[in-house]
Amino acid sequence: MKEGLEEQLHKHFGYPSFRPGQLEVIQYVMRGESVLGMLATGGGKSITYQLPAMLLPGITVVISPLISLMMDQVQQLRAIRRIPATYLNSTLDQRDAREILREIERGTYKLLYISPEKLQQPYIQTVLRRVGVALIAVDEAHCISQWGHDFRTDYLRLPEVIEKLGKPPVLAVTATATSAVQKEICELLGIKPEHIVQQPLNRDNIAIERIAVPGESERRLQVLQLMDRLTGPGIVYCSTRQAVDVLVASYQLEGKRSVHGYHGGMNSMERMMIQAQFLAGELEIIVATNAFGMGIDKSDIRFVIHYQMPASLEAYAQEIGRVGRDGKPGYAALFYVWDDVQIHQHMMEREYPNRQQLQQFTELLLKGEPFTTEMLASIDMTQDMAELLLFYAERVGIPSRSEAVASMEPDALRDCGDAIMRELEVRKRLKQQKLAEMLDYVQEREVCLRKRINHYFGDSAAGFTLQCCSSCGLNRRVYEAEEVAWTKESQEKNWDLLQALSVLLPK
Amino acid sequence: MNSRNNGAQEQDFLLAVALNAMIPLANERTLQAAYYILRGRKANQTLQDVHLYSLYPYYRLFPQLSKENWDKIVSNLLQRKLIVEIEGAGGGRKPTFAVTATGLHFAREQFGMYQMHLWLAPFNQSSLTYNTELFWQRLHLLVQTISQMAAASMNFIPVVSDRRIQQWVKMQVGDSRVRSGWKNHLADELYALWAPFPAQVQRLMVAQLSGAAQTGKTLGQLAMQQGESKFYLHVLFRFGLVSSIQRLHQEKEQFPYLHALVQIHDPENGDPRLSESASRTYALIKRGYQKDKIAKLRGIKVSTVEDHLVEMALRCREWDCSDYLHANQAAEIVSASEKLGTSRLRMIKDHLGKDVSYLQIRLALAQRQGESAP
Ligand SMILES: [Zn+2]
Repeated sequence: MKEGLEEQLHKHFGYPSFRPGQLEVIQYVMRGESVLGMLATGGGKSITYQLPAMLLPGITVVISPLISLMMDQVQQLRAIRRIPATYLNSTLDQRDAREILREIERGTYKLLYISPEKLQQPYIQTVLRRVGVALIAVDEAHCISQWGHDFRTDYLRLPEVIEKLGKPPVLAVTATATSAVQKEICELLGIKPEHIVQQPLNRDNIAIERIAVPGESERRLQVLQLMDRLTGPGIVYCSTRQAVDVLVASYQLEGKRSVHGYHGGMNSMERMMIQAQFLAGELEIIVATNAFGMGIDKSDIRFVIHYQMPASLEAYAQEIGRVGRDGKPGYAALFYVWDDVQIHQHMMEREYPNRQQLQQFTELLLKGEPFTTEMLASIDMTQDMAELLLFYAERVGIPSRSEAVASMEPDALRDCGDAIMRELEVRKRLKQQKLAEMLDYVQEREVCLRKRINHYFGDSAAGFTLQCCSSCGLNRRVYEAEEVAWTKESQEKNWDLLQALSVLLPK
Repeated sequence: MNSRNNGAQEQDFLLAVALNAMIPLANERTLQAAYYILRGRKANQTLQDVHLYSLYPYYRLFPQLSKENWDKIVSNLLQRKLIVEIEGAGGGRKPTFAVTATGLHFAREQFGMYQMHLWLAPFNQSSLTYNTELFWQRLHLLVQTISQMAAASMNFIPVVSDRRIQQWVKMQVGDSRVRSGWKNHLADELYALWAPFPAQVQRLMVAQLSGAAQTGKTLGQLAMQQGESKFYLHVLFRFGLVSSIQRLHQEKEQFPYLHALVQIHDPENGDPRLSESASRTYALIKRGYQKDKIAKLRGIKVSTVEDHLVEMALRCREWDCSDYLHANQAAEIVSASEKLGTSRLRMIKDHLGKDVSYLQIRLALAQRQGESAP
């Protein structure tokens, strides 16, 4: 079976052989068994469902929470691999969505990427049942776990949907999950605990440094210097869009290299161009929020700097994991100032409603009107927050139909409000705990950082190729470039439209 | 140019643009009226102001301008005494503002320095209706696609992810005749279109495009590279877009290909691959009507509708014609045609007997021809 699959891998994707873990996962899937794959992002996670999709009869449904990632993947599959794939999510208007469903019925596609909330729609389920679902791939499967760092309420409804689609085998994939999270994924998605495939977690070619700085100005100075010195290409992660903009602006005053910011506030065409420039090696450093990196297939990234402490070790491991996929030496630096934790506290506050907002929300529920963006804005609530509340409201027994809500006793409704608040408190405490774990990581003394991260995910590996970490002793010079060339472009002198067009559109 | 300098210069430029938009509104409108115009608010009052005071160049000039940024501009204008506030008098009059002599001088001086009269010249009542975004996205993706085709490497990630734009480009390059037309004429027509523009604008347009041999630059990158204000380049870019669209409208004959970029078809009503009449039939087919019903609805002969169906089978590969022709019948017809070495309907019909109709033979042959077109 292995040779046959390798041949298919080469035929469809052009890779000569599987990466660790891939084959094992695919073999489970081809045998019709559900499996959990713990595979690093960029470590060939997507191949584990894309290849079976090409080989199995019927359609493979990929559930992904990240809309832009979904669209990128479909683009790449269509353009580069010539694989019939499509997506359904909230960005499509009704007419397009209907057209795609018709095409699905006609058997045009082997792969459908879909957002979890779209998959709830009975009409879509009917169409999929009719076509026959070969496999359900649950990407970012940790989102289903209430213990995970990125719990999404619509994921928790997936078991029901899988049932409705005729219980096809499930492939759950995630890059980062602690053993508690793994256990929950298996229970909810009906995966046998012995069907967990784990890619080795330890990245032995990445040296890990942790740098405490007394304050913001010192930090900026050091990061700006590193951006000029480290061997590129690289990524600098910041916690907020504003931090991205500020860092880019200050680098551009003095820095030598071509650098650009990237965050969700930019328009999509700009983001596509920046990404393309980075992939093509025209941009050396990207300064970004965590919006950048998912699904980026660039193997020669030499460093990742964290300007601030991330919100969880899961996020941290995932982001530094983008370094050195080619196996050559790479470097990860994490800067932190003691009050970094405040940024995350603040973001968390905004993520969860307070008592008053909850009160206003239940009042809206009572009125029985649909939640429009304006309405939510009037009580200073995001769409995500409203969905979270609706989910918990349902869980504590508030009916989803408004007439039924209206007939509830005020006392009963108040009790429900309390129950929702308690559920939210649990979620919040969990996030606090993740943050506390991250804080431990940055503050602990004398502990090998590599062992510390691996241990967190239940792996005892500790090997390294060049240097280990700043606790074990690390010489950063090794990762600095001999000489940094001036790559910031300046304007070419002579302009000739005809010549420029002939470069763009050669005859 | 020093970037620190750039900041002050950029702020001055923004102030000047705001001020020039505000001058006609002085003593009559509030301090916010110009903000709504620059942002491109669709409210009646705003559009009326645009017409009344001929503020066409300013409408939607900076759609991203935040309220915060605007407040900063206004407080700057006040602080530098370029404008003064006038409180609302009795009788329910709203507060307004006046432009000082210094303000008028500053506005004129800055505009002269940046040659703004040139960059704002093409804007008028009809430019208000142009869909510059659609034009640019179509052009961008089309250039990228044709460039990649010329380099024979179709492994690229489209810069534009909007599905409608992608479909439009796909339609343009789907037909082999049209495709080779684009390949041969795109560069020439772009040259003809942009050659009369100032060099700085030409460069701005070309540098933002992506192709096999270059990745497009963002406006921000170009501003950095040229040591110019990003807002100023944005004004130049808008000049380039609107002037391009204007020429494509006015000099249609000169741009037989590029003209398609400014044609806006409602996909329900018109399909550029088909004749006008056939595309109306296609729209009805998509809504689920059968050919006899369509003939009745449109008051045309059934045989005409059948001609349309054949046209669709030839040009619109995505059309599922199974209502009129089953896949196995199609295969039978095609193999009969190959066996007999003919495309003549009569001979094929004689060979296959009364189970296949002439329409079915025509559909099958058209489909084959459509598919074999490169
Ligand atoms: Zn160590």
